[in-house]
Amino acid sequence: MIQMEDRGNVAIVHIQTPSIDAVSAREIEELCGRSRKTTVLDFGEVAFINSAGISGLLKFIVAARKRGHLVYAIHVSPHHRKIFKMVELSRFMPIVKESELAQL
Amino acid sequence: MAKNKVEMRIPSDLVFERVVRAAAEEIGKQSGLSEEKVSDLTLVVSEAVTNAIEHGNRLQREINVGVVFSMENDRLEISVIDQGEKSQPPEIRRCAISEEAIEEGELRGLGLYLIHQLVDQVEFTSNEEGNTFTMWLHIPPQNGQATRRQDP
Repeated sequence: MIQMEDRGNVAIVHIQTPSIDAVSAREIEELCGRSRKTTVLDFGEVAFINSAGISGLLKFIVAARKRGHLVYAIHVSPHHRKIFKMVELSRFMPIVKESELAQL
Repeated sequence: MAKNKVEMRIPSDLVFERVVRAAAEEIGKQSGLSEEKVSDLTLVVSEAVTNAIEHGNRLQREINVGVVFSMENDRLEISVIDQGEKSQPPEIRRCAISEEAIEEGELRGLGLYLIHQLVDQVEFTSNEEGNTFTMWLHIPPQNGQATRRQDP
């Protein structure tokens, strides 16, 4: 469900599931401790995220922050941008364009 | 005019929340909701069913959660029914992710807030047999028509 790709100083985490929910969030949480200085979560294949999924993402982000790492998001759908803004997740995981990754 | 109803019962296992969500997506499309509103609908149904499974029926797989979709001309009503103990209406615990919540490890509790943000009306009723959480979504008229197409 998760594939990590190293791009120099940046690690891309490709989330290869259509649904981040209470069931699949556990696999996100298992990534805690595997973040890099700059880690980017790729939501390109994600069609659904609920609050349990957001909780799983937060656990990963919190673990990364404790290690002094930053987490970004790419390929976020307009609906999920709305939800991320609604709960202010974007404050902790800014959404960037793939073309901006080289500048991170 | 009679309501069109779809009724489902699922075991209190979070895996089956996905089944209800898939039904919600199809019902939303058939009701004429926009793509964005269908996404809102699937999310609020997911949140309400997850709450019923986790907090109402306390993940007891042998106890069912009931879900009723009622489609009228201009609105969609969704009732989620658990068999939990009689309780007070749930309170919104959190409206956004904060530094304080992160420090305290409080990373859940956003579901009810999302529901209140995304639907037009909610109602909670509770009695000795369980709890019913009902949500309403307005269905806007399409293509100049005042109502959604009804089967004869």
